[in-house]
Amino acid sequence: MNKPDLMQKSADTAVSFEKVTVERGGILILDSVSAIVPIGGCTAIIGPNGAGKTTMLLTLLGEVPYKGFIHATCNINGGCSKIGYVPQRFAFDRGIPVTVAEFLAMGIQKRPLWFGISNKIKKRSLEYLASVKSEHLAERKIGALSGGEMQRVLLALALQQEPDLLVLDEPASGVDFQGEYIFCELLDGLRREKGFTQLMVSHDLATVTHHATHVICLNHKVAAQGPPRQALTNETLTAIFGMHMGMVDSRSMPGGSATCSGPCCNKDQNA
Amino acid sequence: MPDLSPIYHIVAQLLPFECLQAGFMQQAMVGLILLAPMAAAMGVQVVNFRMSFFSDAISHSAFAGVALGLIFSINPHWTMPVFGLLVGLGIMAVQHKTTLSSDTIIGVFFSAVIAFGLAVVSRDRSVARDMQRFLYGDILTISNNDIIWLIALFIAFMIFQALSYNRLLYIGLNSTLAKAHSIRVATYQYYFAGLLALIVMFSVWAVGVLLVTALLIVPAAAARNFARSAGSMFWWSLIISITSAIAGLIISAQDWATTATGATIILVACFWFIISVIASFIRRDSIR
Repeated sequence: MNKPDLMQKSADTAVSFEKVTVERGGILILDSVSAIVPIGGCTAIIGPNGAGKTTMLLTLLGEVPYKGFIHATCNINGGCSKIGYVPQRFAFDRGIPVTVAEFLAMGIQKRPLWFGISNKIKKRSLEYLASVKSEHLAERKIGALSGGEMQRVLLALALQQEPDLLVLDEPASGVDFQGEYIFCELLDGLRREKGFTQLMVSHDLATVTHHATHVICLNHKVAAQGPPRQALTNETLTAIFGMHMGMVDSRSMPGGSATCSGPCCNKDQNA
Repeated sequence: MPDLSPIYHIVAQLLPFECLQAGFMQQAMVGLILLAPMAAAMGVQVVNFRMSFFSDAISHSAFAGVALGLIFSINPHWTMPVFGLLVGLGIMAVQHKTTLSSDTIIGVFFSAVIAFGLAVVSRDRSVARDMQRFLYGDILTISNNDIIWLIALFIAFMIFQALSYNRLLYIGLNSTLAKAHSIRVATYQYYFAGLLALIVMFSVWAVGVLLVTALLIVPAAAARNFARSAGSMFWWSLIISITSAIAGLIISAQDWATTATGATIILVACFWFIISVIASFIRRDSIR
């Protein structure tokens, strides 16, 4: 069990997946996936639709049964009790009359909401809303939020857990490009400020190259992993996406705001 | 057994209707005032969890519960709630253990309990006549003993709601998210299903098998239209259900009406729902 290299890794590894296999209806969704998530960084799982990216997150959250081992050691006690999760599509009943303030209070307040929200909790929720630049949404019904607003409120809900590990499923989906860019900048700032480890799923290479410090390329198996610059070679991208996907795409996004400053966007990649 | 006559006396004083001077009417009123808020508050969560089919299946297991009582010659007042509880927890357990859709699982349980109930009832003609009570409800024959059990259930219900309303809302919105944020989803779901099963079985006496789901859903649905927050949704649901229960019982006892009590209560609640729809339309117009 205790291989020497694994022990060495655990100091700077928040989560390690070891030969994680998920099978559903006779189809291998994850095939002996071994990967690590470095502590304090922004790790992105990339791959085409149906590659098992979301499943990999769900194994970590304990929502999907799997074979293999997942070690999560994202806090000093050697455990990973505090996870913040931002789901991909927050499917809920839009007719339900719940305000954003109640939405943030429902997971932490003991007193039932029919006696109102306590001042202490309300103040705390507003602080978290402010940290995602959404304090103006507090009295809005959650059914009346736009995609981008909902995403920021969900981020506030996840941050409220004071997570050691923040897990985001496709933070870019359902938001326009500008909104996505702002959201990712916001996340970068929060990560530096609060020092959590970030793990996200993305199929958007522009986001990944700009923000990730570590990449796991997944298509049922791990095709490559490491810093974006080393992992995202043409061979890897062709292997997981099945066609020639150069890094050029990430620099030709509209609006000009996507100038890729990430380390992986330097030249020599297309050699 | 404790003497509940002071409570009946207060009811008669607070609601000085001629029809409420009879003892059985006072008992029925107390029973309804205990039962209606329980059904309504649980209904808020039934609507959030989309569990109306679940409550339907529980209510239809009343037949099988009574049938079991007849087979083993135990008082059906015992076998009915116990059997309902078992069916509810059984459905929950199968849902957690298999990948079948919850509709399918409930459908199978639903058919099984109805078929079993009908099979037993069809053997005995005299029982078949008795079954009408369960179809249409029979709150007017509620006994002192039943009311004491209702009070006990009410206390359990209050404790449960006070401790879990917020978390149940969380789970109802998105259970994966709730679980990721360390809410014990399965535990809450089992307790909820168990309590709901008991309340549904008691409600069968009040409004009958056919209308139990209405007692849960209609006040909660109307409350959604009135309320602007999750907190006020709870109070609206209580107000609507209690007023419907009181008005329904009194109207059904009037000489010009002489309708079935359960059906009258649901009609009043449906009237509330229509008002709530109109109110929500007016509000939407005023926002524009």
